[in-house]
Amino acid sequence: MTISRRSVLGAGLAGPLLASPFLIRPASAQRAAGIIRYGLSAFPPNLQPWVSTGASAGTVKMLINRSLVSYDGKGQLRGELAESWARDAEGAWVFKLRKGCVFHNGEPVTADDVKWSIEQIAGEKSTAYMRTQFQLIERVEIPDPQTVRLVTKEPLVTLPSWFANYNTFIIWRKSNPNEPIGAGPFRLVGQERGTSLELAAFDKFYKPGIPKAKGIKFVVYADENLRNAALISGDVDMIEYVPWQSMATVQADPRLKLDTQEGPFMDVLFNGTKPPFNDPRVRRAVAHAVKREDIVKVAFFGRGKPLEGVPVVEGTPWYDKELAHGWNYDPARAKALLAEAGHANGFQTTILATAQFGMHKDTAEIVQQYLAAIGIQAELQLPDWSTRVSRGTRGQYDMAIHGVSSDNNDPDGLTVVLDTSLSPTHGRSFKVDAPRTVAALAKGRAEFDQAKRVEIYKEMQRAALEEVPMVGLAWREQGYGMDKGIQGFANLPGALSTSSGNMLEETYFG
Amino acid sequence: MSASWLGRRLILTLAMAWVVATIVFLALHMVPGDPAELLLSTSGAMPDPATVQELREKLGLDQPLMVQYGHFLAGLARGDLGTSLVDDYPVIQEIALRLPRTLELILAGTLIAVVVGVPAGVYAAVHRGGVFDRVASWITALLLAVPVFVVGTLLVLLLAQTLRLMPAGGFVPFAQDPGQHLKLLALPAVAIAKGLAAVLFRMTRAATLDALAHDYVRTARAKGLSPRRTLVVHVLRNALNPVVTVLGLQMGTLLGGTVLVEYVFNWPGLSTPLLRAVEGRDYPMVVGIILTISVLFLLINLLVELLHAAIDPRVQHG
Repeated sequence: MTISRRSVLGAGLAGPLLASPFLIRPASAQRAAGIIRYGLSAFPPNLQPWVSTGASAGTVKMLINRSLVSYDGKGQLRGELAESWARDAEGAWVFKLRKGCVFHNGEPVTADDVKWSIEQIAGEKSTAYMRTQFQLIERVEIPDPQTVRLVTKEPLVTLPSWFANYNTFIIWRKSNPNEPIGAGPFRLVGQERGTSLELAAFDKFYKPGIPKAKGIKFVVYADENLRNAALISGDVDMIEYVPWQSMATVQADPRLKLDTQEGPFMDVLFNGTKPPFNDPRVRRAVAHAVKREDIVKVAFFGRGKPLEGVPVVEGTPWYDKELAHGWNYDPARAKALLAEAGHANGFQTTILATAQFGMHKDTAEIVQQYLAAIGIQAELQLPDWSTRVSRGTRGQYDMAIHGVSSDNNDPDGLTVVLDTSLSPTHGRSFKVDAPRTVAALAKGRAEFDQAKRVEIYKEMQRAALEEVPMVGLAWREQGYGMDKGIQGFANLPGALSTSSGNMLEETYFG
Repeated sequence: MSASWLGRRLILTLAMAWVVATIVFLALHMVPGDPAELLLSTSGAMPDPATVQELREKLGLDQPLMVQYGHFLAGLARGDLGTSLVDDYPVIQEIALRLPRTLELILAGTLIAVVVGVPAGVYAAVHRGGVFDRVASWITALLLAVPVFVVGTLLVLLLAQTLRLMPAGGFVPFAQDPGQHLKLLALPAVAIAKGLAAVLFRMTRAATLDALAHDYVRTARAKGLSPRRTLVVHVLRNALNPVVTVLGLQMGTLLGGTVLVEYVFNWPGLSTPLLRAVEGRDYPMVVGIILTISVLFLLINLLVELLHAAIDPRVQHG
């Protein structure tokens, strides 16, 4: 038999066609094996347990590591490596460790590992996300091998929730720094760099029957439309960050379901170091000038809710209906406030946002138009995100549009957004003077009586409405889309939505 | 073509690569954005400035620019492109992992474009003014006009979402599942091929028409050669020269043009890390990838010149 060029070429072209009948979709095979395929929005920059590298990395990190506590499906704290915690008579936080917890290498989780992990996070050269908070821990004591006692420099009511953050895991103290060993319900068994990660159930996990799935395959789809297409075409079983424009399609699809929460929000930030925004009356004028419904409609395809006050989640004890609308849309009032501040004829200014994310740009454009209606002519500045971050931290702007989530659903979680006395970052107003708001936040953090805390945080909201350390614009929905057969998953309420990845340990095919 | 000519061209290629690396390095550092702050700010986190400063020091970003440039050049001289600021992964390994995928995509796209574009161009030229010629010309205009991300999105919508015949995108290594690998390659390759096929069609058609009008074709026919033999031996040999040049240049352009296709189809080639590295100001990664693309571009140009000489003996290099 002779081999001609033509036959080689023909075979080459026919190969893929001939092979196609055998290319069955792997979906059914994986489902039968109990492997959940999850469409991740970004490949984790790294999986270092204490450094913040985003929510997608957090989802993976929560499953391969474990901390003292975590959030349950309703967003309440529950014990993990710690089975209970309480303050003792001297005001220190005491965590009782659960027996039988082991790291992935089989070593038991001990109080020494907890102490070591806390000290690494708080260390002088640490780059951990919770470093500043953890430096408020004066010392870590180990009264017995199953107990850890944290003595803090000041009273800290929300300390236990720090350990539910996806950047505060307990790691085996003898780990190689480049290969931290955790105690999560899954083990990382493989990864295709930039493309996918594979987790397998850890058979010695301390909760009986958990994890429910045999494994999870994370496949990265950076493009939101492709991620959604992958869900609709059945390439994956569930996805995070369903794009707002596609939520209706997912809901209408009989094979799929959508789970949304209003967690993150959009806001306006100010540069308080120079006129006109060093005057709270001008900031309040901005707050009353914008009709929020338009932002929800245009930027979020109706998938959100106007935010006319401090971003306190409705339904929580801290929520107050009247205060929640303290910055209602009232152009006449906005104009009066401007006149009172000496700007009856308005002024020219700039709005910093980014063209890299549609929601930031769309929100900025609507704010620009409503400000023009009260006489404020604002020029839009839309650099890439990196430049936006850099200029924000350095205070190189007048007004800025931002999208953010508080740290958790306790109003203390709003500190990162409202406490303008903290060091400047891109997500907080730049050196805006808001002393009463800041003082109320500090008071609430040190108060252990729930009724008193409620009052303190209502006072904080009243102060913020006047001092305007930021202006709330709109809550936006955060959605997970999934196959109807997926059971056990819950999108955690409010600010905790990005921590929902933790629920994958209870997720299975029904 | 002499060895000294080749040597000179190679030295020139290296010098140009150094210029590219220097320009990219300096330009990138002039653009605002701090890699340490960006990494720690992912997903809207607000890092403490002291933590950012720690990371800056760890990554060596607190050193003067010229010192950083010196380190970079010293590394380059050793063939070391440094490590990613994000996860300390060696840039050269990232490129070694990703580049073959981009090249595979480009080669698959080019193969489709050549198989479709060249024969169609010849046929259209031979049957000039016929139905095929007119329809094909109209289709190529359309293919050139519609942006690649529109074609890509439509392909995904039709074949993946509606008909559910193809996966929406992604990547599986060939060794792991050859069938699935080819299936995932098909759509991005078609999307990349569409513009090139149109260009090749037009180029081949024009060049063939040009060759057909020459006296030697008439002579060949007059001495009794069959139309088929005339076409293959006399017309195509002459017509393909400009087509090869265009193909070479276009392949170079495709190297930079795969960004959208790789993004739309989730093909983890060289473009995705480049895009991510630019966004995150991952300096070593950006410089390394751009340097690689530039060197490849220069090498392809060199190859085209060599191929040109092989096809047409009249082309000589002094």
